[in-house]
Amino acid sequence: MKMIEKKQKRFLVVSLLIPVILLLIFVVYPAINLIQTSFLEWDGISQVKEYVGIQNYINMFTNSPNLWLSLRNNGLYLVFHMIMIPIELSIAVMLNSKMKGRGIVKSIIFLPFVISGVGISYAFAYFFSPVNGAFNEILNVCNLDTFIRNWLSDPKIVNFTLIFVSIWRFSGYHVILFISGLKSVSPELLEAAEIDGANSLQRLRAIQLPSMALVMDFVLFDCIRGTLQHFEIPFVMTQGGPGYASSTFTLYTIDTAFKFNDFGMASTMAVAIMIMVMMIYLIKNMIPKLLKKR
Amino acid sequence: MRKSNIYLGIFSLVFLFLSGCAGNETKNETKNEGELDSNIKATLTFGTWDADSMKLYEELDIEGRFQELYPNVSLEIEEMKDDTEYFNAMKIRASAGELPDIMFNETVTLANFAEYLYDLSDTEAAKNNILADGYSVDGEVLGIPEKRQEEYVFFWRDQFEEAGVDVPQTWNEFVEISKKLQEYYGADNKDYMAIALGAKDEWPIYPLIENMPSGISGNGQYWNDMAKQDTPFEEGTDINIAYHKINDFFKTGVFGKDPLGMGYDQAFSIFMQKGAAMAMDSPIGLTAIKSEGIDTSNLESFYIPFRESEDDSLYLPVRGDFLMGITKNTENYELAKEFVEFYFSDAWYPDYISKLASASTMETVDKELDPVFESAERNSSNVVVYTYNGGDAEFQKLVTETRFDYKKLGAQMFEPDFNIEDVFTKLNKDWKKARQE
Repeated sequence: MKMIEKKQKRFLVVSLLIPVILLLIFVVYPAINLIQTSFLEWDGISQVKEYVGIQNYINMFTNSPNLWLSLRNNGLYLVFHMIMIPIELSIAVMLNSKMKGRGIVKSIIFLPFVISGVGISYAFAYFFSPVNGAFNEILNVCNLDTFIRNWLSDPKIVNFTLIFVSIWRFSGYHVILFISGLKSVSPELLEAAEIDGANSLQRLRAIQLPSMALVMDFVLFDCIRGTLQHFEIPFVMTQGGPGYASSTFTLYTIDTAFKFNDFGMASTMAVAIMIMVMMIYLIKNMIPKLLKKR
Repeated sequence: MRKSNIYLGIFSLVFLFLSGCAGNETKNETKNEGELDSNIKATLTFGTWDADSMKLYEELDIEGRFQELYPNVSLEIEEMKDDTEYFNAMKIRASAGELPDIMFNETVTLANFAEYLYDLSDTEAAKNNILADGYSVDGEVLGIPEKRQEEYVFFWRDQFEEAGVDVPQTWNEFVEISKKLQEYYGADNKDYMAIALGAKDEWPIYPLIENMPSGISGNGQYWNDMAKQDTPFEEGTDINIAYHKINDFFKTGVFGKDPLGMGYDQAFSIFMQKGAAMAMDSPIGLTAIKSEGIDTSNLESFYIPFRESEDDSLYLPVRGDFLMGITKNTENYELAKEFVEFYFSDAWYPDYISKLASASTMETVDKELDPVFESAERNSSNVVVYTYNGGDAEFQKLVTETRFDYKKLGAQMFEPDFNIEDVFTKLNKDWKKARQE
């Protein structure tokens, strides 16, 4: 018995060794290094690094108005992606039924997620272009030319244009995740509920949704993490402009590091976003528990 | 057992942390003086973001030519998409001590990488280069410019003639003819642009926003002088005057209906299709036009007239570009130095530069000007050339502290609500504070 236990332990140690080493090298060490750099004044090039204590953190809160503007834009992405979740779930339920042509629809919906984000962003930059842009042409053809706007350069509109592209790109992925969650629900259970007279909405609320809590949890986490770290679509389509109107937290962090050579401050921002993602996720997990207690 | 695991974990973390810190130190190879064996076996590495240069390296066989001198030396040349990608990569490599043997810089980046570059003052290449001295840092030539670059306004002569406008000689004339062209052609074509810009990318604004402050007085050290002042943006300064003029110019509508909605590639391709009368660019713009097979017999150029009166001098900023240097990370300093000498010698440079649109930087190599560039000399009077400096370390430090991003600022000038006075007030305040710190 002891022999088997020993072998089991050895097997566990051996199989965990490589992932743990990789985790230490590629996650733990860079994270420690990042935190360490956040206390330094460093241009990213020079060999001289000056320790400045929490000065970068103070500056981030008191002297970086464009950073907070960028974070507000991330918030907009988060709100709209959250609004999309029930719609994505509805599409998933629809595609999980015995609807005709669901295979093709699934492929079409999932396709934007598979295509390179940079490629999509370039395509949409031309789609919304003020000269020869397909979107404006469509509006023209439909006699809706009064709705033509500067989609990528009006500070009041630009974020919504980018959010539209982001939703187009990521919603399909969430739909596929929801479908896989729905597929995991036992058909016997659903059949029994149907025999008992439960309608499709009741089955969704009482059986399907609780059964796919894990998938829902993952989608929510993906939304929070993804929207707070959003980068490629605004980077390619607008470069965060005009001014900082469509900048995001990550985009501003990258500008701080590479355009302004302030790697110390950029590391501080990276630490902040890490903490923010963790905090929002913890709060999200705490809310259901608190509601249950009440 | 558990305790020992925890100790092991802590030990691993500390070990990784310390080894990582040790890795931050840059290799500081000492140079080996003396004769170089022509049979030396080595690989020299360098990178470029100029697609035309990359093509020429292959077409003119740079490796084969260098191997005539050093048969066992191979060249590893890396091509990057653009300068942003190149310098981002170089910053990361510098901190890891992994810079290539040979490194190209721009005038703006030279000060940042100064501590990683060897002094090349004693090379023949530096001695024969007409611009190298102008970019020396503390008396050391850290980069030898391979291209001489100035900015042009390319224009279609037939459009000017049809609209009845002449080549502008002053700033006001430049604004006026742009308005006239926009009115003339914009009446029938709502997508028309008197000047194709592509301000969404921000950098295409540089011929105005970067050059005009120094172009008013012809002071190539303008940014460096600014670094010595507490409030360099106050009324009456050249930058204040220049940015007011640009701000007003950007509000005239001569850059099309939505200049911020288009990038450089799209705007420039519209110019090539004659959907715009003018486009501002370096000689690289002409290379792009020619590579598209477009007929240039009707294409001319002029220098941006920053002056107020035709009696004043038209100051033309000239910059050295692609400043070739040797990094301190190289393990083959002598060989790298030989390569620099070869690069600017008759064995390579004349053939290479003659195929590029940019002008020669070497006293020893004359290059015939393209007719399009020749027309700029003809179209602009009283031109005075000055060497433009992208800003020393002190200026770059202030840029970091104040987040003074002139290209972004230029793009913001297209916004209807943009208030330039507020920006100047804030910049003056931040600049003063940063200098005091």
